[in-house]
Amino acid sequence: MNQRKFSIIGTDKVRKEAPAKARGEAIYTDDIKLPRMLIGKIKHSDCAHARIISIDTSEAEKLPGVKAVLVGSEAPNKYGIVPQAPTETALAIGKVRFHGEPVAAVAAVDEATADRALDLIKIEYELLPVYIDPHAAMAKDAVPLHEDNKYGNIAYMAKQDFGDVDKALAESHRVLEKTFKTSYVNHVFMEPHSCVARFDDNGDLMMWSSTQVPHYLHTMASQVLDMPMSKIQVTVPTVGGGFGGKGEASNNELVAALLSRKSLRPVKVTYSRKEVFFQHRGRHPIEMKIRMGVDREGYLTAIDYDGIMDGGAYGAWGIIILFYTAAMLHLPYKITNVRFNAKRIYTNKPTCGPMRGLGGVQPRFALESMMDDLAIMLGMSPYELKLKNAIDGKHDTVSGVHVRHSEYKKCLTEVVNRSGYLEKHQKLPFGRGVGLAGGYYISGTAYTLYMSYKPHSSALIRLDTESGVTLQCGATDIGQGSNMVLAMMCAEKLGLPYESVHVISGDTKNAPFDLGSFASRVTVAAGAAVCEAADKLLAQLLPVAAVHIGCRADQLLAGNGEIYSKFEKELRMPFWDAVEKYIDAFGPLTATGSYTPPRRTGEFKGGNVGHSPTYGFTAHVAEVEVDTETGEVKVVGYNEAGDCGQPINPLSVEGQVEGSIVMAMGQALYEEIRLAPDGRIINPNLHDYKVPTMRDIPHIKTYAVDSYDPDSPFGAKEAGEGPIQPTIPAILNAVYDAIGVRFTELPLTPEKVLQALEEKKRQEGLS
Amino acid sequence: MHGEPFGYEKPASLREFESLFAERGEDAKILAGGTDLFVLIKERLLAPRLLIDISDLPELRGISYDPGEGLTIMAGTKVAEIERSALVREHAPALAFAAANLGSNQVRWMATMAGNVCHASPAAETPPVLLAHGCELVIGTPGGERTLPISEFFLAYRKTALQAGEYLKAFRLPPLPARSAVAYQLRGLRRAMEIDMLNMGIYLELAADGVTVSDIRLAMGSVGPVTYRARGTEQRLKGMRLGEEFMAAAGAGVAEEATPIDDMRASAAYRNRVIGVLARRGLEQCLEQIGKGRGEA
Repeated sequence: MNQRKFSIIGTDKVRKEAPAKARGEAIYTDDIKLPRMLIGKIKHSDCAHARIISIDTSEAEKLPGVKAVLVGSEAPNKYGIVPQAPTETALAIGKVRFHGEPVAAVAAVDEATADRALDLIKIEYELLPVYIDPHAAMAKDAVPLHEDNKYGNIAYMAKQDFGDVDKALAESHRVLEKTFKTSYVNHVFMEPHSCVARFDDNGDLMMWSSTQVPHYLHTMASQVLDMPMSKIQVTVPTVGGGFGGKGEASNNELVAALLSRKSLRPVKVTYSRKEVFFQHRGRHPIEMKIRMGVDREGYLTAIDYDGIMDGGAYGAWGIIILFYTAAMLHLPYKITNVRFNAKRIYTNKPTCGPMRGLGGVQPRFALESMMDDLAIMLGMSPYELKLKNAIDGKHDTVSGVHVRHSEYKKCLTEVVNRSGYLEKHQKLPFGRGVGLAGGYYISGTAYTLYMSYKPHSSALIRLDTESGVTLQCGATDIGQGSNMVLAMMCAEKLGLPYESVHVISGDTKNAPFDLGSFASRVTVAAGAAVCEAADKLLAQLLPVAAVHIGCRADQLLAGNGEIYSKFEKELRMPFWDAVEKYIDAFGPLTATGSYTPPRRTGEFKGGNVGHSPTYGFTAHVAEVEVDTETGEVKVVGYNEAGDCGQPINPLSVEGQVEGSIVMAMGQALYEEIRLAPDGRIINPNLHDYKVPTMRDIPHIKTYAVDSYDPDSPFGAKEAGEGPIQPTIPAILNAVYDAIGVRFTELPLTPEKVLQALEEKKRQEGLS
Repeated sequence: MHGEPFGYEKPASLREFESLFAERGEDAKILAGGTDLFVLIKERLLAPRLLIDISDLPELRGISYDPGEGLTIMAGTKVAEIERSALVREHAPALAFAAANLGSNQVRWMATMAGNVCHASPAAETPPVLLAHGCELVIGTPGGERTLPISEFFLAYRKTALQAGEYLKAFRLPPLPARSAVAYQLRGLRRAMEIDMLNMGIYLELAADGVTVSDIRLAMGSVGPVTYRARGTEQRLKGMRLGEEFMAAAGAGVAEEATPIDDMRASAAYRNRVIGVLARRGLEQCLEQIGKGRGEA
């Protein structure tokens, strides 16, 4: 295929910002120091559920060096990423709903003064019952966290029913029913949230913030501060990771802006690691009761899903994630009978939210575990069962989702071949095992979070003889490398070196509109906008070059810094000479591009959630060693084969895949936020909340299967969220293969393993 | 979070330090590496009026070996120096291994073993090995010094035998006799940067026949308020012959003498189940080393 011969796409470019990051020279938000800047600090509640009787800030206000003290009633406008149902305020009003909730804030000349001022704020609480378990929160006489919520502590409910699940299960050869529980985990991005806010003399607000979504911060700041959006600018310095945790406005951002308005000075609010755990927005713990049926040949007949999501104190992304959980049941296997019944519950703990691969990771864990069990019940290899049910190159789900391109089967086959899965499964000595699991994810969403028809991404490219190539795009680089991806695409189109493209991004004023970095949307959506802008530029430039060269414009191509005829080698001119001639004759040379995802026609179900322009797929094989005396599980080998379409930068794809696997491995084996019965977090630090270290990480072999989505920019699809989906079940399937015990609760600590081994020994003794 | 303000002094010599410490010791804390101290201050669990920085005092740095006296490690020596020291690797390899498992690389270049020992956490990385070695502590006293076996140092949870005006000056590890070895076993949830859920220092010495246990020390961490030796078990094992019976008695004995609690890192039940595994694995490691030593000799 001619379209797949590229000079820049598909090469391992090193990110321009990487050396500065490695040397510690990159400028993150917390590095910003402005003249007269104050330090803002937040007073957090020390109880998990209580009415606020009074807040006395008088002593704090008197402390020399304190320039502003703020309480919730000064900013009463509620906000939320889902604008129809806002539940949050910048600071608590009337009530606190989790231990650590922001209640008041101060801005002072330095951190020590601000800390002392916080100690001087006196808050009187009337304690209410604390619910850290969703079942307790759902009890009939439970005190509702949100008095205006319709159904007590049930935040949202959803039911979906496709096909005839009861009939399909009744007619199934085998039906398996199991309950799975996932744990309460945080993203643990390296850089804590930070924001600097400053008002200028015109009353305009500037916000520097560590966010994934400058646009959504922009809208929420406008709501909370009651200011028109045109008077607010959000700009994003270097970001040290987000993974969803910076995917909506966070309290520090709004508090910084409010304190700045009150003190008339710039204010910075940077979270400590403990406050990151308070802000949270990590993965929802879900208790999933699932029934799954299979026929004699191993074809899946039905999925019946019943889920209780522990949402924490506020709404946040909750309703979206609830519906994503529903959508995720329908792929990557062909299944026509699917029932979904789930609730999201308010509890007195930091709010759950979007986290890498949202909606998919929990059901994937359950479904891939059950498919292994069903295969083994049928005396079939899990590989055979999974391959049999895997979707083909194109697929329409019973829920109305259209997959335009899939190489999922290739992923399964490649990873099985590369890992030696078939030679090892059920054949390794006791204590050692292999596990296979597959997964997929969206490459962006087809719909915005609020009703809108505007393009989801836009880009502006300017070519001039002084500044070279300037690419402006609102897409936000949070460390995933979107600036590099977009620059590579622009450079490929214009036939110029990647290094020559200057990207201005992550800014609501200096770059054209983009929704933000979430849902693995940027490569496809912003990438398409950049490609369109570049094509339009060439459409303007090539005719000018054609006159100069003396041939038809439609025979000209851009490459190697030149514009040349695809037929006659000698017909050519330097690219920049053509630009100069264009500008001499017509003035500035710019072009814009935009991207609006295809809308589904016909009947679609499920609140529009789950529809995406295109989908990425992946399959994993984990190999583990279980220490049967201590219960420790060690991941000793790991293989992945993924379909991310054409990798734009294979080195970056590898990084995304490895990062996903390590993140999920932590959730499988180590990570869990632990709460005391009173709702206090016991381990809000990276000493006691344990992410994997380099010593825990196995050698990971990743492989991009041959794939090209012809409808995507340069054939690309997502690579950053699909690969986190199969890791947990791959590891747990391997543990099953190693010791014959099926685990259904995360994390899989040595303690649980040892207990299960002893139980197994006891039962084998009985039988 | 910030703690209360404190004064800071950095004496230039041991003599200057000793007089300052004698004068201000009561409301002062010794700052060696600060990796535990500053955490406590920031969390407002400690509010010293003065920090006396000994991190650069040359008299308190260094590792030496004397065939009669054994290994001497001065209190200001960084954990990373112990981890990398050729002398420690030769004469106390289990200590080098324990040092390598303490915190992160950055922490090891700041922290001292004296700080690790004086912090007196039952989960600390180095005390079990020091107990296994039968280490003697040299304690600086007003105007002099005294020595104390480390087994008498840990009095209660985070409480040591240091009296007012005293400080830990050096560690002395006596030379290992023939047919003896020390091992260190640890368990955490992950494999680095852990506070152990269990650890153990194991000393084994065989009689000339090569099969009779002439001496044994089993020092357990994270199974009680302090790191301590399973003395009853040690007594029972002395004089036993190597073999399955000996191993089983060692495992069962330490489990019996362990008094763990449930905490964030592990349950008491888990600790009770696994401490015996550590004893066994540690003893096997010792036997392997003794065997190797014999092979070379």
